[in-house]
Amino acid sequence: MRRLVLILVPYLWLIALFLIPFVIVVKISLSDVALARPPYFPQLDLTAGWAGIRTFFSELDFENFTFLTTDDLYWKAYLSSLKIAAISTALTLLIGYPIAYGMASARPEWRATLMMLVILPFWTSFLIRVYSWIGILSQGGLLNTFLLWLGVIDQPLTILNTEIAVYIGIVYTYLPFMILPIYANLEKLDGALIEAAEDLGCSRTSAFWLVTIPLSKSGIIAGCFLVFIPAIGEFVIPSLLGGSQTLMIGKVLYEEFFSNRDWPVASAVAVVLLVILIVPIILFQRNEQKNREASQ
Amino acid sequence: MKTPLLSLTATLALTAAAVQAEEVHVYNWSDYIDESLLSKFEEETGIDLVYDVFDSNELLETKMLAGGSGYDVVVPTGTFLQRQIMAGAFQKLDKSKLPNLDNMWDVIEKRTDAYDPGGEYSINYMWGTTGIGVNMPAVEDALGADAPVDSLSLIFDPANMEKLASCGVHFLDAPTEMIPAALAYAGLDPDRKDEEALAKAEEVLMAVRPYIQKFHSSEYINALANGDICVAFGWSGDILQARDRAAEAENGVEIAYNAPKEGALMWFDMMAIPVDAPNPEAAHTFLNFIMDPENMAAASNYVYYANGNKASQEFLSEDVIGDPAIYPSEETLEKLYTVTPFGPKEQRTLTRLWTKVKSGT
Amino acid sequence: MPQTVFAPWENPDEKPLIQFRNVTKKFGDFTAIANLDLDIYAQEFFALLGPSGCGKTTLMRMLAGFEMPTSGKILLGGEDIAAVPPNKRPVNMMFQSYALFPHLSVWDNVAFGLKREGRDKSEIETRVSDMIRLTRLEKFARRKPHQLSGGQRQRVALARSLAKAPKLLLLDEPLGALDRKLREETQFELMDIQEKTGTTFVIVTHDQEEAMTVASRVAVMDEGRLVQVSTPDRIYENPNSVYVADFIGDVNIIEGSANQTGDKVLVNWAEGHSPLVATTAAVLQKDQTCYLAIRPEKIAITAEQPDAANVVQGEILDIGYLGNISTYHVKLPSGHVIKAQSANTRRIARRSFTWEDKVWLSWSDTAAILLER
Repeated sequence: MRRLVLILVPYLWLIALFLIPFVIVVKISLSDVALARPPYFPQLDLTAGWAGIRTFFSELDFENFTFLTTDDLYWKAYLSSLKIAAISTALTLLIGYPIAYGMASARPEWRATLMMLVILPFWTSFLIRVYSWIGILSQGGLLNTFLLWLGVIDQPLTILNTEIAVYIGIVYTYLPFMILPIYANLEKLDGALIEAAEDLGCSRTSAFWLVTIPLSKSGIIAGCFLVFIPAIGEFVIPSLLGGSQTLMIGKVLYEEFFSNRDWPVASAVAVVLLVILIVPIILFQRNEQKNREASQ
Repeated sequence: MKTPLLSLTATLALTAAAVQAEEVHVYNWSDYIDESLLSKFEEETGIDLVYDVFDSNELLETKMLAGGSGYDVVVPTGTFLQRQIMAGAFQKLDKSKLPNLDNMWDVIEKRTDAYDPGGEYSINYMWGTTGIGVNMPAVEDALGADAPVDSLSLIFDPANMEKLASCGVHFLDAPTEMIPAALAYAGLDPDRKDEEALAKAEEVLMAVRPYIQKFHSSEYINALANGDICVAFGWSGDILQARDRAAEAENGVEIAYNAPKEGALMWFDMMAIPVDAPNPEAAHTFLNFIMDPENMAAASNYVYYANGNKASQEFLSEDVIGDPAIYPSEETLEKLYTVTPFGPKEQRTLTRLWTKVKSGT
Repeated sequence: MPQTVFAPWENPDEKPLIQFRNVTKKFGDFTAIANLDLDIYAQEFFALLGPSGCGKTTLMRMLAGFEMPTSGKILLGGEDIAAVPPNKRPVNMMFQSYALFPHLSVWDNVAFGLKREGRDKSEIETRVSDMIRLTRLEKFARRKPHQLSGGQRQRVALARSLAKAPKLLLLDEPLGALDRKLREETQFELMDIQEKTGTTFVIVTHDQEEAMTVASRVAVMDEGRLVQVSTPDRIYENPNSVYVADFIGDVNIIEGSANQTGDKVLVNWAEGHSPLVATTAAVLQKDQTCYLAIRPEKIAITAEQPDAANVVQGEILDIGYLGNISTYHVKLPSGHVIKAQSANTRRIARRSFTWEDKVWLSWSDTAAILLER
């Protein structure tokens, strides 16, 4: 009985906080936009009984999904988001891995402090941290002033309102999500394994590629998911730091919802986004499962 | 009237908590009232005033359409108000509870009738125009002393814009403001929403798109005042705010606001009571309090926008009532136009067009 | 079967494989190895024995290249190897934790070092299968380390470290993680493999029995110094100090003052007791403090007073029954407690002594070793 309850808890959690909201979003995505409160049609009228439910279902259709294919804006935005998320994830990994590696190889008494430093930015509001990048990256901002003072450049660089600023914002914001799982992984890594690899003829570098990297694979994958998934739907960072030409699905979603007041299309955009995100995760898990079974 | 960008900041998730009889929830634009009026209201009426702010019509509209916002008084802009009335978001005003309605200005009422015929659902709070803010010395440097600072050609003629690009031009990130202006420049009715007209507006905007540094609806206040940009197409009150900041800073920046001579968009922020307001009684009390001439004048003196209250004008300070940028002359007033809201289909075309203008996609 | 005794350390013409020359290693203020000299010869099974912190692991890590001597030289085949990094040394190590790569199969673990040398595939294949056969891992070649038992992992580690046919194999507490029975079996297996491959083995251990069993020579270490380097039997029979005598096996130590006549020494050890007699080749000063080390199995325990060079009487305090032998703790009137062992050739019921019995202990004059320190 107690076991049953323990198994049920995560499922109930999932049902209450994911499945039910998702079903509602799917339902809205199958509706039509209407000038009403709430602004879509049909509404489920339970007072009409069985007939009401039947009419309700007969009114639902996939029109909004077909609509998404009629305008190249949507797939371009999805693609552009995927690209931005992928590049940001790669950059975050490139920067985060050495940091995690450095932390894991630091003296144990230093590690707690270093960990603290990584987590510290979370104590400030995310929004304020992104806003402060405006002050750093703008034409008359800290970075340009500094570079001009150094004499590296003689014209201020245009960074703010470009895709570069978006990358900076995403990498900065999500870096801890990359560092922490990799660090957790590397910290457990037995130093003797590296010595063993060197003993067996590896240089420092090849020991890193042949032993450290494969053994931190699960941390790398976890970190990449933690960065890639929120980055793909990111709205705040491209809005604040990106230029008007930065096309991201989060912004499109916002416009559909707020400017067009088209909740059904907005929901369709969200459903497609979820599918785009969930499919690779499921494929990956399947693959992991297979590997695990194969090695049994 | 400000826009979407970061409405999140103002998303003070208000729980539609149990509202006691003696509480009224007001949801207004940020920085849009003299705050001493709030305590004055509480003192006079004994009603607790809970005052929240937002910074985008879209955010307000989403709350109104979703329902259950918990607010008693909200302040949408005319075009948004009209659509929300059609969606059934507001309740009719009980005019017997609003004796101060007599103070309102018929000139403005005539115009707001376009959105809310007969003022059944709303009263005007503030109104203003959308026009051109310039940093005079910089623009004269770029275009010479005879720069057309009071004409839409300043911002829509590629020849002018090419020269202004290097000193910086910002446009509002609000298609409902920019499209009518482009239509006015093209000599078309600014309220046209047909495909032919929108195509024309797109042509005008795409021609100057490369010279625009940014589409944003609030950054231009600071950017203008600091001299980071030299031209902004924006809301009157905001540009006047930039003017005063620059004057205070004495940084060589001289801002001037002009409503374009080809015609300028006139907008109205309206106070209305949501259909599901927890305390409509107190909401009426608040509206009546606001329509008191002295209170209304205090608000205008504070925010530098004109109001729709005739009786308040004798209490306005000279730099408000006397500034043609705030209270335009009869002649200019005649050239101001109003627009009606876009329907759902048209709205989609509009948003899509705007995305194309901004992103090139 | 006639066999020449393997003792290259006794042949002055033999060149040692490894030479430590005045090697000192410091970690900050702490001296781990103090000015140490040591020769290890090819094909030796050499044990470094000592308590934890004695410097034996540091010594081994310097051979592997993971630590650099602070001063002094380490020569391998006559060449100074200070500048050679671990991956370039013809030395392999079997780690205490085994350090098997968890992401690789047994086969790939064993092949790891060979692949790094860039040998061709068929050669690697042959070598790996040889190693896997040698360590009897044929059935597990495709498994991952976490799917193996402790003993199997130990064999993978051994196969992996032997795969590259190193000149020198270092074994860091190789059997520490195994249970006693498996450990004993594996000791013999190790010796067998060492003999088959002809590789020089250096083993680090804190287990004196293990060192005694497997090694051709044992170096007993204490606080960064070598106390004694010799064959197991000599270490046992002729310890050069109380430290070594005490560390290796069970021993009774009796302190006294010496009174030498020729090769005989009379040791005064307690008031009112006649001196004990021992033989020595050393020359001691009159009344010099010295120690007698007597192994318990060399002490006879009898009910009647025997006729022997050294005879003392006492009372049985404790009896440790170990099956094949029994250890008696006998308390002397002087307060000393002496351990004596006797083989249990008879059944328990017929055993002659029990608690509080008065017994005589005796040993010959050559049974005790006279130690100066």
